[in-house]
Amino acid sequence: MKHSFLLLLLACTAFAQPKFYPDDPLDKEPAPRNVDKVLSRKLSDYYDLFSHQFGKTGERQPKMGPPIVARASVNTLGEPMDGVWYVKRHYYRRMPAEELKRGPGDNRPPAGAKWTVVGAKSEGITPGFTILDEKKQRYFIKFDPLSNPEMATAADSITSRFFHALGYHVPENYIVFFRPEQLELGPDVQLADATGKKRKMTSRDIYEILVKVPKTKDGRYRATASRGIDGKPVGPPRYYGTRKDDPNDTVPHEHRRDQRGLHVFSAWLDHDDSRSINNFDALVKEDGRQFLRHYLLDFGSTLGSASQKANSPRSGAYFFGWKSSAQQLFTLGLAPPYWALAKYEEYPSIGLFEGDVFDPELWVAEYPNPAFLNRLPDDEFWAAKQVMAFTDEDIRTVVSTGLLTDAKAAEYLVQCLIKRRDKIGKAYFAKVLPLDRFRLDSSGRLIWDDLSKSLNDARVAWFAFDNVTGARTPAAGPSAWAVAEVTAPSRPKQTVQVFIRSGTIVGLDRTW
Amino acid sequence: MSQYLALLLILTGALHAQEPNSRAAVIEKSRDAKAAKLEPDEVSPAEKRLRMFKDAKYLERISSGYNGLRVKLGNMVTGGGFAVGPEYFREDLLRGQLTTRASAQFSTRGYQKYEAQALLPRLANGKLSLEGIASHRNYASLQYYGTGPERTKDLRTNYRLEDTSIDGILAVEPKKGVKFGASLGYLWTNVGPGNDKRFASTEKVFSPAASPGIDRQTNFLRNGLFAQYDYRDDPLGMAKSGGNYVFQYSWFHDERLERFGFRRMDIELQQFIPFLNKTRVIALRAKTTLTETDRNEQIPFYLQPILGGSDDLRGYRFFRFSDRNSMVMNAEYRWEIFSGLDGAVFADAGKVFPRRGMLNFKNLESSAGVGLRFNARNATFMRLDVAFSPEGFQLWIKFNDIFLSRRFGTSTGQPVY
Repeated sequence: MKHSFLLLLLACTAFAQPKFYPDDPLDKEPAPRNVDKVLSRKLSDYYDLFSHQFGKTGERQPKMGPPIVARASVNTLGEPMDGVWYVKRHYYRRMPAEELKRGPGDNRPPAGAKWTVVGAKSEGITPGFTILDEKKQRYFIKFDPLSNPEMATAADSITSRFFHALGYHVPENYIVFFRPEQLELGPDVQLADATGKKRKMTSRDIYEILVKVPKTKDGRYRATASRGIDGKPVGPPRYYGTRKDDPNDTVPHEHRRDQRGLHVFSAWLDHDDSRSINNFDALVKEDGRQFLRHYLLDFGSTLGSASQKANSPRSGAYFFGWKSSAQQLFTLGLAPPYWALAKYEEYPSIGLFEGDVFDPELWVAEYPNPAFLNRLPDDEFWAAKQVMAFTDEDIRTVVSTGLLTDAKAAEYLVQCLIKRRDKIGKAYFAKVLPLDRFRLDSSGRLIWDDLSKSLNDARVAWFAFDNVTGARTPAAGPSAWAVAEVTAPSRPKQTVQVFIRSGTIVGLDRTW
Repeated sequence: MSQYLALLLILTGALHAQEPNSRAAVIEKSRDAKAAKLEPDEVSPAEKRLRMFKDAKYLERISSGYNGLRVKLGNMVTGGGFAVGPEYFREDLLRGQLTTRASAQFSTRGYQKYEAQALLPRLANGKLSLEGIASHRNYASLQYYGTGPERTKDLRTNYRLEDTSIDGILAVEPKKGVKFGASLGYLWTNVGPGNDKRFASTEKVFSPAASPGIDRQTNFLRNGLFAQYDYRDDPLGMAKSGGNYVFQYSWFHDERLERFGFRRMDIELQQFIPFLNKTRVIALRAKTTLTETDRNEQIPFYLQPILGGSDDLRGYRFFRFSDRNSMVMNAEYRWEIFSGLDGAVFADAGKVFPRRGMLNFKNLESSAGVGLRFNARNATFMRLDVAFSPEGFQLWIKFNDIFLSRRFGTSTGQPVY
């Protein structure tokens, strides 16, 4: 019996993994592996819509039992590591105003007095060009609708900078002003007409596009010039699963914290068009190896804009939902959904955006998104703390990059973002203990930042910790391996377990 | 026992040696596992087909046709059945200044319609438009219940209407939404026995005195004036706010018999009252058609104003009522069920009447019902209405908006337009 016990103990030790490794917490992902071959494929937005709306994509949270936490995509502190999806920015290291304004880059707008049009999209609702500037750099030129001058271009500029500060890879978006004479048609440019038939593009086609877009008072055209992303485009990533041909893509996207938390950012910025085809994978080459980097793009449908018109008042609700549709059908619409009650200020350059009726807990994208649906309170907290890191002045700074000529409209947008930010903080700081930036002071006392600035009863209990077995025993204070369990009587289910190794915080676990 | 222990210790050591000893190694291990089973990230065949379907723009190609030739569906008179036929359509002539189309349609009930149109929509910087339209129609079995409001539904008969028309329409739009115009045209008519054997042919039930024009038909020179003020938010799609007010006055000159000349005035008022961010709309419409004749002249029964059917009194069969004058009012409460579907609750009231002095709210026929509006790209592509009236209920499946604006010009003077 004694021997059997010994054998069992030894076997357990043999198979047990330590909770923490010597290099925890990792700040950056290990350098990506070289990707030899990757398929460039296009996704169907119809398929994306129908498969998400009526199917079940990705691995969803179980209805019973413990939830699937986003552990594999984060370090032991619960933070996504810097890498091909995400880079820690504003919350972790306050970005000064100039850096917030600069975003992913602000010194590479289209160069030269002549831009060569090398492609156009005249059909459909979003007219635009592709140009090469005098340095042969590619830019995608997009315009505002006649009904809403400045709206989509401002949204593209502002939101790309917010997402950059929030840690995502985004393209460089510039608001540019140009005269038609600046455009030069390239040789043998092909144009697909409304029926998809290709023909040679003529200067008349450029004229036809420009008559559909607003002009400034001095006769120029205002547009977004989105700098072509470096690398080879290989098609967008999905919000579930992994790319089968990318060895670095090992965590299903629906379980990535940076993708789950994107729900909160999208709610803040009203990025309801957050679907796969508005993402972008580029095969980039750096330091002698090539790998995929994942981008968010196309922010013209944010902040109250729907690119070619003001956004629908439905923003924040699915196109279709069985329950909500049945409710509307059988109540004859007499029980209106919350979003229908919103009151909008009439600013053509803003579209339909507001902060009074907005509810981050109710907001959803246009159709179900598996990563967004899988989010847990710790994912939401991670995102909410980043949103709350933007001060009023930070928001004002970023909004200024939209170059809105109506100062009242710009200030309205700022106030809406402030209201929405505060609602996000209130909603998600209530679901877990809103404590972060744990550290030990010089006397070995555990201290933290209370992000809600209202939790007054947090207390600490100390345990010694066995990194191999996970066993904990009560202790008087920190030791070589220790766990500080932070609780608050006002929130009995919420705890934070702070793991400390020789005076260094190496891990955080939150419960709710 | 010590041998077992030694073996276990060796095994333990070996296992430890294979386990990662850092977080980076854990990540690398998962990459190893992934790298061992890499495969092209193909999309599924279903997704590929959907993508190709969109990229190839099949829907756009079907609607725009091949070299201007396309299939025209629907747009036949109510009760004509499902209609289909070829259409030649061009809007790129004269550098986009000229739109032309010509079509031939045949319906499941044997109706035929041929049309040709040329339109210069953007003369004088878009302030002037000129349109020429010619049509020939052969409707095999239009319903007729007799002239007058008191005719019962048992009197249902049917007749054949054949007509040919040619019209020119000039419209001026001095300001956005404000339009004035005039039209001039000629109309040849012929009426014959209906071919729906379920019902009596009209001429066997109604005498020429009761239904003028049943025995002899004539040709008309017709001219008209019209005016419109339209400030709906989406005149071509699903209007949710604003209004549309139309006035039209037409003269029909009997060119052959000098017995059937008349004058006709059409007034239509539409108002859309939105609330809750346009997710709810109260849509109102009132329209009346008033006619007058000189002494000794009459309005042929086939040109009399009619009521009943999917576009006005929805609880009654189409063409249920006809007389010299008509009025109808519709009220709809529409609400958004989801982004592609609206619900509607509606009420209709109206009447036909022999004298213009009877234009009042007495003795109205009424119906009420519920409906669904299927929308795409801000336009109703299908409408399903169930309406109830003292004569029973009617189910309508239509591919238009009930308040769809009619084309200006003298062709609106024909009830079966």
